[in-house]
Amino acid sequence: MQHDEPRGDDELLARIAGGNQSALSELIARHGRGLRMFAARYLGNAGDAEDVVQEVFVTVWKQAARFDPAKGRASTWLYRITANRCIDQRRRRALRSFIGLDDIRDEVAAPEADAEATTAARQELAIVRDGLSRLPERQRMAVLLRAVGDLDIAAIAEVMGGSIGSAEQLLVRGRRALRDHLAMAAVSRERESS
Amino acid sequence: MTRDEFERHSLRFGAAVETWPAPFRQQALALLAAERKDDPDAALDRLVLEAALTDGDDQALARKVLARIEAGSARPSLLPRLLFSPAGFAACVAAVLVAATLAGYQVARLQDDPSDTELLALASGSSLADGGIAADAEGEGSL
Repeated sequence: MQHDEPRGDDELLARIAGGNQSALSELIARHGRGLRMFAARYLGNAGDAEDVVQEVFVTVWKQAARFDPAKGRASTWLYRITANRCIDQRRRRALRSFIGLDDIRDEVAAPEADAEATTAARQELAIVRDGLSRLPERQRMAVLLRAVGDLDIAAIAEVMGGSIGSAEQLLVRGRRALRDHLAMAAVSRERESS
Repeated sequence: MTRDEFERHSLRFGAAVETWPAPFRQQALALLAAERKDDPDAALDRLVLEAALTDGDDQALARKVLARIEAGSARPSLLPRLLFSPAGFAACVAAVLVAATLAGYQVARLQDDPSDTELLALASGSSLADGGIAADAEGEGSL
């Protein structure tokens, strides 16, 4: 699904390149939430995600002049920076864990209660989160870029630095694995209830 | 996304939902498509989006980003935190000890190792004088 990029993002980046801080605040208001959700679910850690997204917008502040609207959408550029920072963060976390400074744990705050009206819905979302955390990293990234970033296959390929075919395969495999996980969880629940 | 939130975002981003930024756009489209039969991939994407929802304050994020820009550092260095953590401090102490041991070993080796001159004198049976081999009988003391 391809959407027309709102011209607002390009204009905001042009203003940011000129040193306009209110334009940066506006860009954060538009994309901060999506980038944070993507990073949090990819990294499995809300604190790391917050740090990554801050780094992303600092990078945007410094490099906004390098963004060329003719080469791609602003949102694709933002998600590409975020994806790269997330990969760096995972490596740093793995290194810190290796030398005993950190434990790798999934720590993402639970969503607001009113977003999940029923117990069944809560269970289903918890299963989806669990399924996401079990996906191979690149499949998880592709699924999240599609679902959270609303990027099409071409943009996912651009963000992940691969071909359109490989991005499509990652997305197909990730979705299939998630569906399998949901189906297995449903079977387990049925067995428990019977 | 509720209908009230949808209306609020309409005032903020405009009437055309397609021009809204992610993830507001997908949530709005999901609301509009809630009663419409959709393809399974889109349904799974909506489920993933809902599962990915996290709390967060965009204004606080903007404040932190601007503070970081003012401070002039894109990323806090690992080194200060490493030094202040117990494990990091212990690692630094261990590194200093290893370095001191190696340095001591090198110095001791320099002091203890016989020089080439001494070995030469020993091999030729000469006694040592300051600065080299003592004068021997003619023809001796040199190889």
